[in-house]
Amino acid sequence: MKYELVAGFETHIELQTKTKIFCGCTTQFGGEPNTHCCPVCIGLPGTLPVLNREVVRYAIKAGLAVHGEIAEVAKMDRKNYCYPDLAKAYQISQLYAPLIIGGYVELSNGRKIRLHHIHIEEDAGKLIHQHGDTYVDYNRGGVPLIEIVSEPDIRSIDEAKEYVEKLQQVMRYIGISDCKMQEGSMRCDVNISVRPAGSEKLGTRTEIKNMNSITNIAKAMEYEFERQTDLIESGGAVVQETLRYDDATGTTSSMRSKEDAHDYRYFRDPDLVTINVSREEVEALRAELPELPADKCRRYIGEFGLPEKDAQLLTKYRAISEYFDKACEGVKSAKTVANFIIGQIFRRTETESDKEVFAVATTPEQLNELVKLLDSGKIRNNLAKSTLEKMLDSGKGALEFISESDMGGVDEGALLELCKAAIEANPKAVEDFKNGKEKAIKALVGNVMKNSRGKADAVAAEAKIKELIS
Amino acid sequence: MVTREDVENIALLSKLFVPEEELDSLTQSMQDIINFADEINNAPASDEGFDNINNLSNVFREDVVVPSYPSEEILKNAPEQGEDHFLVRNRA
Ligand SMILES: [Zn+2]
Repeated sequence: MKYELVAGFETHIELQTKTKIFCGCTTQFGGEPNTHCCPVCIGLPGTLPVLNREVVRYAIKAGLAVHGEIAEVAKMDRKNYCYPDLAKAYQISQLYAPLIIGGYVELSNGRKIRLHHIHIEEDAGKLIHQHGDTYVDYNRGGVPLIEIVSEPDIRSIDEAKEYVEKLQQVMRYIGISDCKMQEGSMRCDVNISVRPAGSEKLGTRTEIKNMNSITNIAKAMEYEFERQTDLIESGGAVVQETLRYDDATGTTSSMRSKEDAHDYRYFRDPDLVTINVSREEVEALRAELPELPADKCRRYIGEFGLPEKDAQLLTKYRAISEYFDKACEGVKSAKTVANFIIGQIFRRTETESDKEVFAVATTPEQLNELVKLLDSGKIRNNLAKSTLEKMLDSGKGALEFISESDMGGVDEGALLELCKAAIEANPKAVEDFKNGKEKAIKALVGNVMKNSRGKADAVAAEAKIKELIS
Repeated sequence: MVTREDVENIALLSKLFVPEEELDSLTQSMQDIINFADEINNAPASDEGFDNINNLSNVFREDVVVPSYPSEEILKNAPEQGEDHFLVRNRA
């Protein structure tokens, strides 16, 4: 029997506010242990949390970016559990009235992964386990998070990877989080079950906790899919439980039950008052959003006529797309700009983090100037390409490398003279061409290009030479 | 209806040790507390928009950093500490 994978994600994203969610301590990553703490975020009795306004604004932006509905009334709840990462023995979160309802993430295959809701909550402290003892650092405790809870709409590992990448991309675009999985500012819990292909009924699910890389998410899901399928095929049953993925062995294992006491006794936090969100505020925040990657991608394909692959490469990071947009201003063909960026500039921004920052010696305005020289026929493509390399090496503008005599193209009469000269200088190539060696013409065109210092139109030159010798 | 098992479970979740001989009286106390809460819940509510005693909403702070406490101050309340961390010993 063929089995189908069914997965849903709970994705935690740390918000890049300056301060924690309920106190004025810094959210800066790192720092000496327990130096970003105060009586509020270590949960001393008698302290009162006060909600950071910016957290609400960031979360609303996140909601709008994934087409969610912003609640008019939201409330904070306590999620109770005893574990050393929580100083208060409860986490302030949202269950009954989350800030954002619904929404979706659209994948490249056209499927929409529906979101159940997005809520705001505080992060827990960091635990370091050593020789059976636990060392606790509360610097991260109280850092604001959003948790994005999807419906079980994911049907393959590729979809899972794309879902996480899309969330990462859009949250970075709107500037609410750096979404660095290796630093823990983005973490996923994956709910996974299997069922016979074609069945509508959901199987029993397991939950893999705290995945911190897309590679591991894929590996853990693959392992868990096999494990559950084998179990069912051999007549067993999947047990609903929380799992940990072990990177070293590539396997999942059950987490101890005391870390898994699913009895959180949620109740409204009496220390925090209701959040009312006016529609005016929602619209003001919507107006602050940049053009989102999916919209940009559609525009590049629809308006600029770019192939989908190019559009995706250029919209992957906001810095690249902004560079591209600026370099395209007033040019004849955006495809030419795209070719320079993807073909030449990308070779100098090899890693993903280089591409994300996109710190290129040549400014988009300089590239724009170069493309306009090309557009106007003042220079030819080969010269433009080699000039761009020099520009990228030096940070200087195109005109530093192109002299007056390089510009202006080659008129009809001059082209004729150049072609005649090329024919005269290469009797062997002419002979070969006449004997059927099509490629021999290239030597003649090359001669024209060389003597015109790249200014002649190679296509026109080839036509002219053919005309002259046949 | 609060049962002995409820009290045992809550004690477990709260990491509290409850001696066997106190279970019955604690169960009764818990039942009394719940009854009292029910009584309040059943009281006629006149104000429809009632949310909290001061009827406040949208109480926010601005996103401005204030200095945190020195770690020595923070760790003063730690039952045990090690290497500037709160230290939780393995009881096993
Ligand atoms: Zn604090």
